[in-house]
Amino acid sequence: MDVLHAAHHHSFTNELNPMTMRYLFLFLAALLAQRSSAFCGFYVARADATLFNDRSEVILVRDGQRTIVTMSNDFQGAVKDFAMVVPVPVVLRQQDIRIVDRRVFSMLDAYSSPRLVEYHDDNPCYPQVVYESLAENDDMRMPTANASRMKAEAKDLGVTIEAQYAVGEYDILILSATESTGLKQWLIQNGYRIPESAHEVLDPYIRSNLKFFVVKVDVSRLQLTGSNLLRPIQIRYDSHKFMLPIRLGMANSKGSQDMVVYAFTRTGRVECVNYRTVKVPTDRNIPLFVKQKFGPFYKDLFARAHRREGRNVVFLEYAWNVTPSFGGMKCDPCVGPPPMPREFAEAGVDWGGPNSGGGQVFFTRLHVRYGREKFPQDLVFQVTPNAEHFQARYVLTNPASGDLSCASGQDYLEELYYRRHRELDELQALTGWDITKRQGYLKEVGDRLPPERRNGLPEWTLPLDPGDGGNAGPGSPDVQWTFALGSLLIVLLLLFRLRNAVAHR
Amino acid sequence: MLFQRTIGPAIAFLQRDARHFQVLFLASFLLYGTMALGWDAEWPRYAILIGTVLSVQTLFIRWKRVPWSSLKSALVTGLGMSLLLKAGSPWTLALGAAVAISSKFLVRWDGKHIFNPGNLGIAAAVLLTGDAWVSPGQWGSGAMLVFLVGAAGGMVVLRVGRIDTSLAFLGTFALLEMVRTVLYLGWGMDVWLHRLTNGSLLLFTFFMITDPMTTPRSQAARIGWSVGVALLAFVLSWKFWINATPIWALLIFCALNPVLDHFRKGAVFQWTSSTPRTTTPLRTN
Repeated sequence: MDVLHAAHHHSFTNELNPMTMRYLFLFLAALLAQRSSAFCGFYVARADATLFNDRSEVILVRDGQRTIVTMSNDFQGAVKDFAMVVPVPVVLRQQDIRIVDRRVFSMLDAYSSPRLVEYHDDNPCYPQVVYESLAENDDMRMPTANASRMKAEAKDLGVTIEAQYAVGEYDILILSATESTGLKQWLIQNGYRIPESAHEVLDPYIRSNLKFFVVKVDVSRLQLTGSNLLRPIQIRYDSHKFMLPIRLGMANSKGSQDMVVYAFTRTGRVECVNYRTVKVPTDRNIPLFVKQKFGPFYKDLFARAHRREGRNVVFLEYAWNVTPSFGGMKCDPCVGPPPMPREFAEAGVDWGGPNSGGGQVFFTRLHVRYGREKFPQDLVFQVTPNAEHFQARYVLTNPASGDLSCASGQDYLEELYYRRHRELDELQALTGWDITKRQGYLKEVGDRLPPERRNGLPEWTLPLDPGDGGNAGPGSPDVQWTFALGSLLIVLLLLFRLRNAVAHR
Repeated sequence: MLFQRTIGPAIAFLQRDARHFQVLFLASFLLYGTMALGWDAEWPRYAILIGTVLSVQTLFIRWKRVPWSSLKSALVTGLGMSLLLKAGSPWTLALGAAVAISSKFLVRWDGKHIFNPGNLGIAAAVLLTGDAWVSPGQWGSGAMLVFLVGAAGGMVVLRVGRIDTSLAFLGTFALLEMVRTVLYLGWGMDVWLHRLTNGSLLLFTFFMITDPMTTPRSQAARIGWSVGVALLAFVLSWKFWINATPIWALLIFCALNPVLDHFRKGAVFQWTSSTPRTTTPLRTN
C-alpha cells in the first residue's frame, strides 16, 4: 500500500530540483517507515529452532576462501559426557579457535525464525482502525550440569596429535590419522563414544586428508565461567572446501535430525550444491486460532513440506541483506532486534562493523532435516550473488469489530465466511491437521448473517480449492510420477515411429 | 483417427529436425523445474534470455544471410541457458545471451564456430559480471532424473549422432568418480550414485556437450575430446572444489576444437539432412 503511495508521488519529482527531491524522498521514506509498522502487520509469535528436538545450530560465515564455523554445543545431558569430533580441512592454530557468547545463537534464531503476523480488518460500517499486538515468546533452554576430565594418550594407533589447546572450558585436540580402526580405537580408549558404524565415515575423511577437531569439557574450568552451560566454539580456516560434514553425526542416530544453519556472506544467499535448496511455504493466510499454537503449527508444516519434497532437500527459511547501514526494510515485520556490529563480530562476520570496512552482510537461514538414507553426501554449499529477500511468514487476519448490520457489513461477513473457509483449507493443506472439529470457526461468522443469506453458504466438507497450499505441491511423488509416465509414453511413441520410419526406408 | 490427424503429423514434424525434440524436451524440463521442483518461476528471466538470443540471431541472419531456420538453434541455446543461468540483473542475462549467439558468428575457425554458444554465454555472464551463478543442486539427484533426462536426451543425441560424446563423457566421469569416491576414499556406493544422478550433470551430458556443431568432426577425436572434458571436470571438482565443473571443462576443450579438426577431418554437421545443402560456405546455426 505504501509502495503505491510512493510510486504515485514519484511521477512529478522529475520537475523538482535535486535538493527538494532529496527532502521529498527522505520524507517519503520516513512516511514509509512509520506506516509500514501499521499496515504490514504485527509480529505475534515465532517458531524458533528450540521447537525441534534432535537439532543442532551452526553459524557459517564464508568470505572468499575463509570459513568461520560456530557450533552451538547445545548439549542435552551431563556436561562431563560432552565430546565432539568434527572433521576439519586443516590443522587449526590456537588463534583460530575461540569461545563465543551463546546469546548470539538465540539472537540470530529469534531474528530469522518463521513468523506469525496479524492484521485487522476495518469495519466497513464505521471505518476505524484498532490495533493490538501480542507477543508470546517463551524461551526454553535445557540446563546442563556436571563435568569430567579428558586424558589425552598418544598411542601407536596411527593417530597423531597435531596440536593440543585449552580454550575456555574446552580441551581441544587436533588429530590426524592414517586409518580408521586406529582412530576409532583411540577415540574409544579416550572416552569418546563412537558408534560401531563410524569407521565407514572415518575412513573417507582420513583419505580426504581431513583432520579431526576433538573436543571435551574440563568441568573445573567450566565452573570458573560461572555457568554450567557450554559456550559455543568458533573455528576459522582457509580452504576451498565450503561444506558441513554431516555423515559423522548420522552414525549416531537412526532417525532424522534437524540442523539450522545461519550463514553470512558478503554477496548473497548461500545455497546447497549437492541437494536442492527449497523455500518453505510462506505468506499463507491461516485461521486465528493458530495464534495459540504457532509452534506446533510450524513444526507440522515443516514435517509435511519435508515429506512432500522427498525428504532430501535443504529448506530456506530466511534470506535478507542485514548490513547495519542498509537503508531498506530489514524484515516485515521484525521478530527481534536486528543484529548489530557487535553480534556480527561475535558470529565471525569480521567485515560488518563500521570500523572494518563496512561491507555488505547477507544473512541466509537454512533448515535441513537429514537422515542416513536420503543424505549420503555431506552438505556442500556455495555463495551466490542472489540477494533476493525471503522470509517464512504466516498471516492472521482479525475480523472487523463492532456493529456490522449495515448492507456492506453483511457483504463483509459473507466474504469473511469464504475467507475463513479458505484459511481452514490452507491450514489443512499446510499441516494436515484435522479441521472437521473447527467448524465453529465458520459457524460464528455464519450465525451473524440473516438466515436467508446464511443458507446459501457452503458447509465445510471438502476443500474449496484443493491443491492450493500444496497437497500435490512441488516435488510431490504424484507430480513426478505423472510427469515421468507422460514422458515415457512420448518416448515410446517416438521410438515406435522412428522404427517404422527406418523399416520403411 | 485422432492419432492420424493430430499426433501423427506432430511426430512427423518433430522428426524433421532434431532441434524440434530439443526444444520440446528443454521446455518440458523448464516446466518441470518450475512446477514440480519449486524453483522460483522466473518467467521474466526466461523471457529475457530467449528474447535476446532470438533477437541477436535475427540480426545476424540479416547481416550474414543465413537461413531463418537457424532461429531454432538460437531457441535451443536460449532454453538451455534458462535452465542453467541465473542472475540478479536482467542486463547480465542479456549480456550472456548476446555473447552466446554472437560467438557463433564472430568466433569462427575453418567454417564453423568454436564455442558451444550456451556454454560460452554462461561462462561470460558468470566471469564478467559477478552477478550470475549456476545452481548445480537445483535438480537434486535421483534415479528418476536419470530416466527422464537420459530417455529424452537419448532421443536427441541418437538422432544427431552424438551418443558417442555423451557415453564417453558420462562413462569416463562415472569411472573416475568410482575410483575416487568408492575405491580410494571408501565411501559407499550410494555416495557415488548420488553424485552421478545429479540432474545438472545429466542435463549437461545429454543436452550441452552433445552440440553437434561444437564437437570435433571425427568420431575418434570426439571420444578422446569427451574423455578429456570428463577428466578436467573431475580434476577441477576434486582438486579445487569448484562447482559446476563440466561447464568450465567444456569451455576449455571447445577452444581445442580447431586443433582436433585440423588433424582429424570429418564431415561438417547439418541439422536437416532432408533439405539440400546450402552452397554458402557459412552455415552458422
